[in-house]
Amino acid sequence: MAAEPAYTVASDSETTGEEKSSSPLSEISIGIDIGTSQCSIAVWNGSQVEVLKNTRNQKLMRSYVTFKSDFPSGGVSNQLAHEYDMLTGATIFNMKRLIGRLDTDSVVHASKNLPFLVQTLNIGVRPFIAALVNNMWRSTTPEEVLAIFLIELRAMAEVQLKRPVRNVVLTIPVSFSRFQLSRIERACAMAGLHVLRLMPEPTAVALLYAQQQQQAVHENMGSGSEKNALIFNMGAGYCDVAVTATAGGVSQIKALAGFTLGGEDMLQNIMHHLLPEMDNLFSSHGIEEIRKIGLLRVATQDAIHKLSFQPSVQINVDLGNGIQICKVLDRNEFEAVNQKVFEKCASLIGQCLREAKVEVEDVNDVILVGGCSYIPKIKSILTSVCKRGELYAEMNPLEAAVCGAALEGAVASGINDPFGSLDLLTIQATPLNIGIRADGNSFVPIVQRNTTMPARRELIFTTVHDNQTEALIIVYEGDETVEETNHLLGYFKITGIPPAPKGIPEINVCMDIDASNVLRVFAGVIMPGAQHPAAPFMEVRMPTVDDGHGWCAEALHRTYGSTLDLITVQKKVQK
Amino acid sequence: MPTSVISFYQPKFGQIHCPFFSNMSIPSHRTPHKGKAAAARCCQRRMDATLGEHDRNYYTLLGVSIDSTSQQIKEAYRKLQKKYHPDIAGQKGHDRALLMNEAYKVLMSRDMRRQYNASIGWFQNSFGKDASGVDYSVWNGPLRPQALFVDQNACIGCRECVYHARNTFTMDESLGCARVKVQYGDDETEIQVSVDLCPVNCIYWVDAEELQVLEYLIQPHPKKGYGIYGQGWERPTNVFMAAEAFKKQLKQQAANRQI
Repeated sequence: MAAEPAYTVASDSETTGEEKSSSPLSEISIGIDIGTSQCSIAVWNGSQVEVLKNTRNQKLMRSYVTFKSDFPSGGVSNQLAHEYDMLTGATIFNMKRLIGRLDTDSVVHASKNLPFLVQTLNIGVRPFIAALVNNMWRSTTPEEVLAIFLIELRAMAEVQLKRPVRNVVLTIPVSFSRFQLSRIERACAMAGLHVLRLMPEPTAVALLYAQQQQQAVHENMGSGSEKNALIFNMGAGYCDVAVTATAGGVSQIKALAGFTLGGEDMLQNIMHHLLPEMDNLFSSHGIEEIRKIGLLRVATQDAIHKLSFQPSVQINVDLGNGIQICKVLDRNEFEAVNQKVFEKCASLIGQCLREAKVEVEDVNDVILVGGCSYIPKIKSILTSVCKRGELYAEMNPLEAAVCGAALEGAVASGINDPFGSLDLLTIQATPLNIGIRADGNSFVPIVQRNTTMPARRELIFTTVHDNQTEALIIVYEGDETVEETNHLLGYFKITGIPPAPKGIPEINVCMDIDASNVLRVFAGVIMPGAQHPAAPFMEVRMPTVDDGHGWCAEALHRTYGSTLDLITVQKKVQK
Repeated sequence: MPTSVISFYQPKFGQIHCPFFSNMSIPSHRTPHKGKAAAARCCQRRMDATLGEHDRNYYTLLGVSIDSTSQQIKEAYRKLQKKYHPDIAGQKGHDRALLMNEAYKVLMSRDMRRQYNASIGWFQNSFGKDASGVDYSVWNGPLRPQALFVDQNACIGCRECVYHARNTFTMDESLGCARVKVQYGDDETEIQVSVDLCPVNCIYWVDAEELQVLEYLIQPHPKKGYGIYGQGWERPTNVFMAAEAFKKQLKQQAANRQI
């Protein structure tokens, strides 16, 4: 039915070639901020960062793709006649919330009341997502939707810059797992884009902050000494916090924290508050239900936006069949319904400050960005947790991330600016622990979170059985102590361990993360006293798992049990 | 002896951090990794090999002096990152950035820095003062492989060296002989003149790593007495031999600890 897609699909491995742009100006990477609801694109134009506008003169474009006839079209070029057009079932949005998630994920389940089809089987595979085209459900994937959208963005940028665009710096949420990142890279590959960096959103903001501080020094306004900043970024889908130390144009990320939490959650909470039986009413996902859920969604969204600027708002929606909602929603009620969301925000800030080992009093600037920054309660949380009257006001909250990404794009492409405006650097930190399964069912981190990148860490393990000749290395990423609740990145087997009593062979596992966040795991066996390893070392690039990785871990358990287990060796460092 | 001396024989720079992978180059993603076996054999070769003589420790790597404050270390680290970070230098900056991150982490943490200092043979000044009143020399500028040492057994107290390099040597009036106050306190020609002019040739160039032991041993130590006889102060007649023995003893102690 659908015609050949208008893009080519490249393989994963092609996205990460060693093509360090050997730097004519045409190779400057552009910065793209793909938000759950809105998207923008910016580029270093030779003297400053310029946020590109689409043909309708918008800097911020809605992130969605409408599957109408033969060719899908996205929010870059397409003008919606009315907000309600977005809710006919033919439009897919919120792909950033869905990408790289399994159908057992609670975020996917919460997405079931979006006005398109999201089906789950709860078995750990990708959810079934479909758009209504000519009264037929046409299946798609978040990657495909994102790729279609990226193609439009790319075309728009190429027209304006009058040159081909290939390298991009994309901003991503802090809480994204490596598997999700690989899905983003995949979408970029499908759109013919090469990912130079995937940059956590608050670190992009931190880079912009570093540049502003640097300029202030040049204009003799700033002191030039080190400044700590706390960055809080909350959009429609994700909430991120970063603490950075900035001096001389170098932004050193001290700690990162993030969670899948945003305006979408508030929207869902309010919708459930207005219509408690919503999930039952709309569970059948017929055309009529989609229209109704769309009506409710638009009305609620509108109300939340208005609540940022006025104390109360009147909501009137007629959903037919005698369901009518007439209600005055005021700020207190809104805040009470979303109390958990706000509590989580406060706890994320606290966690980030603790892990950065920075006292609130030592934070020089508190920066609030993202679509949720207009919500009064978010502002008051930030001012109260960080104990200050004023927030940093030198940034456009909706453009800060994309500007930072464009700066990083220029810096990492090797562009120099005669006025020193690009004399910048971000020193990133790892957002999540990475480790392997060992000591029974435990997750043993090898690279702790908030380790400065590039990073390399190693740990020595040993066998648990006599004459064990093989060992399974299962690599996970996450913050939990039990291995099952973390993200599986991949697994491989070390073979050729010389037969020996348990505890004698030393199995050395080393993880290496480079500046573009590529993770390599090295593993090998060394017998005590031997000069050379017993078998060739292995180098494995992670993640290696693809879809359905929920099954893999179970299958490994079932098949191998504890026969290939490892335990950590007590460190031999004498104190 | 304070127990901290035990950590003298902690692994040296480069061994601390991933010895087995320390000089594996990071292959580009596309090119086939030709030397898996070769890379794995790197365990015996140290980071020194890849980085050259002057980068042998964290202080020289960051280009700071051994007594610099954390503020100075921070600034130096940032300045170097701007030169060597892979964002700027490309993939070839990876190994160096790794090392700098490790160095920064160690030197910014008070405990890890103390431990590291001990491992490269440098005690915090406080150790000398608090524990035994030993006068250690301090360093001017970055740590170098060679250091000056006066064998006070041989020194006749002629003051020739103090006269020619007054910022480097000082006269210990109570002992009647000279000692090094500041390593490289004067420029190299002045120092060389002092060394050459010493009438008994008691000024030696020694390994920086040896220096702490030598300076510790050359101080007069209380002598065990028998009844009223034999009490007083003594120092080893041949300080270099004594240093060898002392190190052996430490090694033994460390080994015993491990067991």
